[in-house]
Amino acid sequence: MQLSARQIDDFKTERKDITPPLPVILRLVPLLLYCSIGVAVILGSIFFLQLQLAVQKRENHRAQTGTLSTQTQEARNQRTALEAQIKKATDIEAWVASSRPLQPLIVEIARSMAPHSSIIDLRLDRDGDAPAQLKFSIKLGTDSTKQLDTTLEKIARLDYRTFSPQQSLGRGELDYRATLVSRLQRSSNAPAAGERKEGTP
Amino acid sequence: MNSKHFACAIVAILIVLLVQFTLWFQNSRSKMQREAAVAQQAELAAAQQLTRERTQLADLRRQSVDLIEFLRTWQPYFESIDSPQSAEVNYTMRVKEANLVNLAQRFEQTPVKGNASVPTAMRAYLTFEDDYSRLLNWLGDLEAKMPTMRISSIRVSKGTRADDLRMELTLEHPMLRK
Repeated sequence: MQLSARQIDDFKTERKDITPPLPVILRLVPLLLYCSIGVAVILGSIFFLQLQLAVQKRENHRAQTGTLSTQTQEARNQRTALEAQIKKATDIEAWVASSRPLQPLIVEIARSMAPHSSIIDLRLDRDGDAPAQLKFSIKLGTDSTKQLDTTLEKIARLDYRTFSPQQSLGRGELDYRATLVSRLQRSSNAPAAGERKEGTP
Repeated sequence: MNSKHFACAIVAILIVLLVQFTLWFQNSRSKMQREAAVAQQAELAAAQQLTRERTQLADLRRQSVDLIEFLRTWQPYFESIDSPQSAEVNYTMRVKEANLVNLAQRFEQTPVKGNASVPTAMRAYLTFEDDYSRLLNWLGDLEAKMPTMRISSIRVSKGTRADDLRMELTLEHPMLRK
């Protein structure tokens, strides 16, 4: 097919050619220009729409990410606050565990004395490193270990366990030393008034 | 090269420019789509992190119900006496109210080992010599009314009179970190 010179050379004025006509292949160049303009407009429109969509999508995702990050930070702050509360609760629990009233124990030891026995010296010291443990030492005015057995039985009834016991008997006196550990845990309930005992013998 | 060739070259340049412009536009779109994909990934990661964080928080809440209840119950008792001065006044008043024979009393503030929430304690060194029942009842009352107080040391021995008891007490009152 031969391309018409009038259809292609649009910009050419009505005058006589002074130069030789272009080769046929070069006459395709203006046609290519029209095609390029058409394709560029179509593709440009598509790309523009896709670009706008992508911008919108990116902004939406970024806004959503910002909201999620804020919520994450809030949850993290709540967790940090809760961890601080747990730490405080654990510390308070440790203190409370080591503050079990000792008056009932002393009263019970005193009540365990038989008519011919007496307490010469009674001592309870809390271990500095493990405050829940008590270093118990008692000097009894007695000739036999029977009194000590009765006293230890009373102590055991109050849910104390004895560890590392040492005892010596001589000249009407009995020395006994041990470590006491309470098996009772103070509950989350308010401190019980019934924990105390009347101090009558 | 005549004017027709020249015109042809200009048109060809225009075509190249158009192609370049279209390619540039396409690149911009592709770049923006990549950025949108990255933002989507970031959103997904943020959502997963939030889920993880909320799960951890819920687990922690579930696991610490008892501890928090314990804290809620006991904290007011710890906060009722919040300074060494008020603790000292409190102990002095209680000794005076009981009208016990108080041989010695001394107060000092001491650090508490391994307890970050209770860094210090008010320590009271008290020595009494009085009737056995009165002394032990007073001690029982004191422990009941001041449940956070702990006896760090107690020594009981015979007093000078028949029913008397000599009691050397070391009490510790916790000072909660503010």
